[in-house]
Amino acid sequence: MSDDIAVGIDLGTSYSAVAAVAEAGGSPQVLPNEWGERTHASCVSFLDDGSVLVGNNAKKNIITNAENTIYSAKRLIGRFYFSDEVKKAQAVMPYRIVEGPNNSVRLQVKEKVLAVPEVSALVLKEMKAIAETALGREVRKAVVTCPAYFNDNQRQATKDAGRIAGLDVLRIINEPTAAALAYGFGKDISQKICVYDLGGGTFDVSILEIGKDVFEVLSTAGDTYLGGDDFDDRIMTWLADDFLAKYGLDLRQNKFCLQMLKEAGERAKIEVGRDGVAEILVPGICQSPEGEVIDLRQKLVQDQFNRMVMDLVQRTFKVCDEALQSARLTAGDVDAVILVGGPTRLPIVRNSVRHYFQREPMTGIDPDEVVSLGAAIQAHALLNTQAAEYGQASYLLDVTPLSLRVGTVGGFTEKIIDKNTPIPIEKSKTFTTSRDGQDRVKIRVYQGESNRADACELLGEFEFTGFRIGYRGEVQIQVTFEIDSNGIVNVSATDVETGQKTSTTINLSSGLSEDDIQTAMIHNADIELARGGRAA
Amino acid sequence: MDSQFQIEVESLAAALDQLDYFGVLKIPQTATPPEIKAAYYRESRAYHPDRFAAYPDEAFRELVGRIYRRVNEAYTVLRDDKKRAKYVQDVTGPERAQKLRFTEAGEAQVKEEQKRKLEEQLGMTPNGRKFYAAALIELEAERWEGAQRALKSALMYEPSNGRFKEALAQVEKELEKNRNKGDQFRIK
Repeated sequence: MSDDIAVGIDLGTSYSAVAAVAEAGGSPQVLPNEWGERTHASCVSFLDDGSVLVGNNAKKNIITNAENTIYSAKRLIGRFYFSDEVKKAQAVMPYRIVEGPNNSVRLQVKEKVLAVPEVSALVLKEMKAIAETALGREVRKAVVTCPAYFNDNQRQATKDAGRIAGLDVLRIINEPTAAALAYGFGKDISQKICVYDLGGGTFDVSILEIGKDVFEVLSTAGDTYLGGDDFDDRIMTWLADDFLAKYGLDLRQNKFCLQMLKEAGERAKIEVGRDGVAEILVPGICQSPEGEVIDLRQKLVQDQFNRMVMDLVQRTFKVCDEALQSARLTAGDVDAVILVGGPTRLPIVRNSVRHYFQREPMTGIDPDEVVSLGAAIQAHALLNTQAAEYGQASYLLDVTPLSLRVGTVGGFTEKIIDKNTPIPIEKSKTFTTSRDGQDRVKIRVYQGESNRADACELLGEFEFTGFRIGYRGEVQIQVTFEIDSNGIVNVSATDVETGQKTSTTINLSSGLSEDDIQTAMIHNADIELARGGRAA
Repeated sequence: MDSQFQIEVESLAAALDQLDYFGVLKIPQTATPPEIKAAYYRESRAYHPDRFAAYPDEAFRELVGRIYRRVNEAYTVLRDDKKRAKYVQDVTGPERAQKLRFTEAGEAQVKEEQKRKLEEQLGMTPNGRKFYAAALIELEAERWEGAQRALKSALMYEPSNGRFKEALAQVEKELEKNRNKGDQFRIK
């Protein structure tokens, strides 16, 4: 057992990181790649020779090889093709987003069509390779993190991505929970803490109570449509509108210009946060109809930037309100605030958080690395049977972020498991047949907070067969809904009278079938990771 | 993993369906919320599935999982004052054996109870509520005829509403009293 190793991987929207506890009882360390980089762009570039470039080098290709370079795939993972997020991505992403079976999302690169988890799997493959180089040994097991507010489809897809990358995914854990673990592990504290996690594409808040080695999540809330990318978008819009007014050319019409604009926006955001002012210069961003090459030149100051993004920052506090309310606490009850994610480096975010909680956020925690460190601690704990014996134990008591529901007649739903219920949990419900001689029962399972089915996320349609056949209302089927420690939903059913387990098939799910995963695994193993030069 | 713990897990898993939630968390029915939380932490330290994640015996892991899911279920019900009250009523009643687990029926009952209380107070239809509210104002001002009219109207919309009927009966009693007084006055 002890010669085995498991790593923790923070699979982010924009950046990913990998960490490990290299020796029993040691502290977790972020594993750098061969150039010393500790975070890696979640960016996958398909090269002409059939190999794949992942990480910060691939990020440069967003401009030079736009159509074959995929980034922010996490925004699409586990989503349906008709969702707003996918429509939005189609408008701005240079790569092709196409429809797959069962309303799923596929990405087309050259003539290849890939499922989103296959792309994430390539990022994970790179993380695995980095870990193997850094540790000098094979790595086959990992804990992978996902936003706390991810639904079942998104978690399942994340887990699939891990399997495709050839990893045994020991656990999917929530990013804020991982951060809390990294903060409180081995410290012997009893506190109520708030994790404010503003990532590249998602925002999560978790309120936890730490009682020495127990990490109880009291509540979690989030917005999977809010992140640092939205801050970049604001700067882009401002730059593009300004350019339009000056030259009468709309940079957003051309996907190539749009990428340069996006890069400029991201850089400006970082500079303005660090230095208070950003000089934006993109030489030769486009050509006028007369053939004149035009540069993009602008200056962004702090105040102006703050005004642009104030409403986004305010939105995060609505989510904080919701989380505190579910935990039955007020902002004043929180003993410590932990900031996670790159955008929390921005002064406007820090100041607003300080103002909201009336407390200085914790310093000395690297917002880019803390999640992977927590994942590494958990990975190490899951491998060790004797952790409890040498005082290394920690118990994560996490919750489900969304209510679990079943569809009823007329497009309505009924709640089965409340949000913020501790997991793992199970709950049963009895269904009866509605027709004489009925041989199958179908139920649709949803997640969400609305009692209308169309406002919730469909997880799938479960069809039960193989129970006793009788008159209507005579046959009772007990359906058990289980949410496991990963936050993934399992549904099974038994005939109440005979106790016979019925067989279950899942329809209408956007996820990958077992066959799809097997094929993807072979495919993934064949793809070679390119080692480019060091990113500038 | 000592064998004593293994035996403990096996016997607890076997007895799970005979235990109520207080038994699962090993606390008395009078436990206070902090005691419930402390018990939850204690049981989590003992039966958290992560502790046994690397344990090779899958059947044993499944048993631990079963116990821990029940621990979570118990905590979810007992930490909620309303659910706890309903649950205590269930397990101290005659149908204890069937009600050891807080069911959807129980949950629906809690909700139904709240809804019914609200409806009883205010009426179940918009018009019923409107007339009942009007009747209350009339009652407050002791205008009995007005109250009677309003209540009769409310009862047209909700003929079986007990509260409305009760109020009407009272109003009619008052009216009767007044009429008697009036008659007496006239005779005099």
